[in-house]
Amino acid sequence: MEAIVQLVVILFVVLFVLLPLGWWLVALKNRKAMMYLRMYWIRIVIIDVTLLVVFLAIWGMMSLESFYRSITLAQMPLQLIMVALNAIIFVVMYTTFLQGGLSKLSKSKIKGEEVNIHWDDVIGMEEAKREAWEVVQLIKDRTKVKQIGGKVLRGLLMLGPPGCGKTYLAKAIATEAGVPFISMSGAEFVETFVGVGASRVRKLFKKARELAYGHGGCIIFIDELDSIARKRVFSVFGGTEETNSTQNQLLAEMDGVQTADQNVIIIGATNASEDSLDSALLRPGRFDRKFYIDRPNLEEREKIFQYYFSKVKIDKSSVDIKRIARKSVYKTPAEIENIVKEAALIAARDKKDMVDYKNVSEAIERIQMGLKHRRHMTPREREMTAYHESGHLIVLYLLHPTDDVFKASIIGRKESLGVVHRQPKEELYTDSKEALLADIKVSLAGYVAEKLKYGTTSTGVAMDFKGAMMTAHSMVWRFGMNDAGFIGDYTAIPKEEISENIKEALNVETQKIFKICLKDVEDLLMKEREILDRFVKELLEKEELDYDEIDAIFNEYGKRQLSALK
Amino acid sequence: MLLAFTLFGCAPSYPKAEFKESIIKLCKDEYNIDVKVETVGKTIAIYLPLSNLIDFTFAITKEASEKIGNVILSVSRVALSTDAKYDFYCIIAHDVRIPDIQIVIIKSIDDVKRFFLGDISRNEYTKRMLIDIRMTPQAQKEKSIREVLDKMVVDKKAQEQFLSEFFRNEPAGLNEIGYWNGKFYIKDVTLPEFLADQVASRIRIAFKEDKKLAESFLVKSSKGSYSSQPPRSIFRFEIFATATKVVVGTKGESNIDDILEESLKVASAVIHGYRFKDYEYIDIINQANGGFMRVSQADAEKFYSKKIKFSELKKKVY
Repeated sequence: MEAIVQLVVILFVVLFVLLPLGWWLVALKNRKAMMYLRMYWIRIVIIDVTLLVVFLAIWGMMSLESFYRSITLAQMPLQLIMVALNAIIFVVMYTTFLQGGLSKLSKSKIKGEEVNIHWDDVIGMEEAKREAWEVVQLIKDRTKVKQIGGKVLRGLLMLGPPGCGKTYLAKAIATEAGVPFISMSGAEFVETFVGVGASRVRKLFKKARELAYGHGGCIIFIDELDSIARKRVFSVFGGTEETNSTQNQLLAEMDGVQTADQNVIIIGATNASEDSLDSALLRPGRFDRKFYIDRPNLEEREKIFQYYFSKVKIDKSSVDIKRIARKSVYKTPAEIENIVKEAALIAARDKKDMVDYKNVSEAIERIQMGLKHRRHMTPREREMTAYHESGHLIVLYLLHPTDDVFKASIIGRKESLGVVHRQPKEELYTDSKEALLADIKVSLAGYVAEKLKYGTTSTGVAMDFKGAMMTAHSMVWRFGMNDAGFIGDYTAIPKEEISENIKEALNVETQKIFKICLKDVEDLLMKEREILDRFVKELLEKEELDYDEIDAIFNEYGKRQLSALK
Repeated sequence: MLLAFTLFGCAPSYPKAEFKESIIKLCKDEYNIDVKVETVGKTIAIYLPLSNLIDFTFAITKEASEKIGNVILSVSRVALSTDAKYDFYCIIAHDVRIPDIQIVIIKSIDDVKRFFLGDISRNEYTKRMLIDIRMTPQAQKEKSIREVLDKMVVDKKAQEQFLSEFFRNEPAGLNEIGYWNGKFYIKDVTLPEFLADQVASRIRIAFKEDKKLAESFLVKSSKGSYSSQPPRSIFRFEIFATATKVVVGTKGESNIDDILEESLKVASAVIHGYRFKDYEYIDIINQANGGFMRVSQADAEKFYSKKIKFSELKKKVY
């Protein structure tokens, strides 16, 4: 027994005297140790006190006679259950009634090297990568920048459509910079209760500063920044108070980062446009750098496809990555990943060992056009749909300068009975007058084809007309693409400030475009009636026609695609 | 933490090897009382010499009572926190001025444990303790024999030899336990004899404590014994009780039966309380009027749990 007492005393001295003293001495020289001491001093005190209580309890138990010890031990499980029950009740009551739990911050702190996304893994955003690399260098060489007298980087804003790899790039920056990475979504700051979001922002930055102190830097990544960074609204009703206070705190903390002079970099990511964000956040000194991470171009798409295809078994003889990349214009990296995953699923469903071109094509179609939804149609309605879609198809193939026919189908998808799927051959950031006119003609072609065959038309033209009308209207009202010489954007000024004469003249021009297009389409389809009937026959037989089949039929008649001629 | 507690909780505070010394040391260290300790079988005997055990009214003095209480507590503590297996302890307190008088207290260690764990009440705990103030049996015996031997002019050495050979033996019953001339006269207490004495004692208490019974009856003596002679094992309670006034019952019978009924109530409750099963019958005899009844173990249990009436038991013949 005396040996046990001696052991307890030694343990007591080691745990409560030597260990804390040693840690304190180490912390005085080592910044990381000091950081941990600062960050976790409450926990350390709690653990120490708990251990002290345990030691005292053991000490007390040892002073008891074995009979009383046995009684105490026998009661202990029940007491532990009671204590646990009380603690649970207390926590539930506290979080329910005092809302102490609402300001809790579930931040995920990860060390840079543990993020494990390397620079080479980031593909398909070469431009953004180049800029981001500079940021990495700035994080690493902060002292050097300061020595030169340069201004250190505070914030980085990534803008762009969803699924383009903003989070991925942020993680790669953290890995390369080798600093801790705290990731949060903007939505996590949003609460009903005023002040809770602000409290979370404070806690987040406090934590980041502590980590930066120990590790030489820290990256805070706030995804969906627009949740807390939209333009502030000052409402007398106070409905926006919480968002405002959260954003104010973010602004204050970002300034605070400067004054505290700690290497904390804030990376924000948003799908919203820059215009919708509060200007105070965008000024230099807060988010100093802005990256626009756009959808990948053809070359980048090829690389992305190569990367994801390397993770699945593919039939190299049939899968032409260049061709697939061309077929997936405007697709984001996330969508490309999804295409490959979907293709693999389709291949597995078809009991194939490898993914082939057909699987990829089907995957693109499924993702782009949605799942097939067969509806029961009368023969006449089915034929009418075939004429309608064949009309679109012929006009698109023969008259459209930029778009390819991807597929024609009379199988219902979503709300439509049939579809002619098209897509540009390459990324185009503007549309020419000819392309817009061709768009209108393609839209009107379904109507013309129905009328040509049946002398009457169906309500299936509604969406076509809507699209065509909007295009024609924009051409005249906004883009100056009319023969009457109206130049300027008439939608930029209030309608009541435009004279009735001008409005009428503009509308006449819109109708004129419509009529010219209609005439062209009628002429074309009457001229190519044989091809029209052929496509109707093919569609009624096969229900779906791929690009290759469509191209082959046109070639039979000696026709070449207009976009291919350019 | 639990592991540590379990580890420390395993070792007994008073190991078997140091059991007697532990009691002596505890009494000395904590209460400055000198005791002697002896054990026989599963019984511990503690001799407690006191300077003023009784006053001139033959009542236990307050000081003696406190000392006895402290010794009881010390023995209980050691008995509960040891790995030695003992069932009973017996405290023999002497007044050193008049060693012919002794107080013998016998307790079951299981009762002590149950009391500390709150399994039985303080009142029940007190009733389960056997307390007897009596003339030291060995002293009485020795005096009588010495007188005879003196008359026979036997020399002292021969007297000592004679006494040692024929009269200084282990006591036959609990009433012969004692301490005389530096020697313990103790026996290994068994549960049935402890129960027999306890029932006899509690019958006396019952007829004193209950106001109605005390007004109606006078219990002059009660004695309990347990016989386990094959083929039968029987508890036998001999009472000498008389009615102080005669009350006619609803059926016109004499209330003298109430003595047997009350005695049976006490006996069945006590035996049931110890979950003792090793007996066949309980015999109750009122020596004052020759009243007798025999109850089997099963009927005694039924009577305790009020599943059978006394009048029905009376009619039963075993």
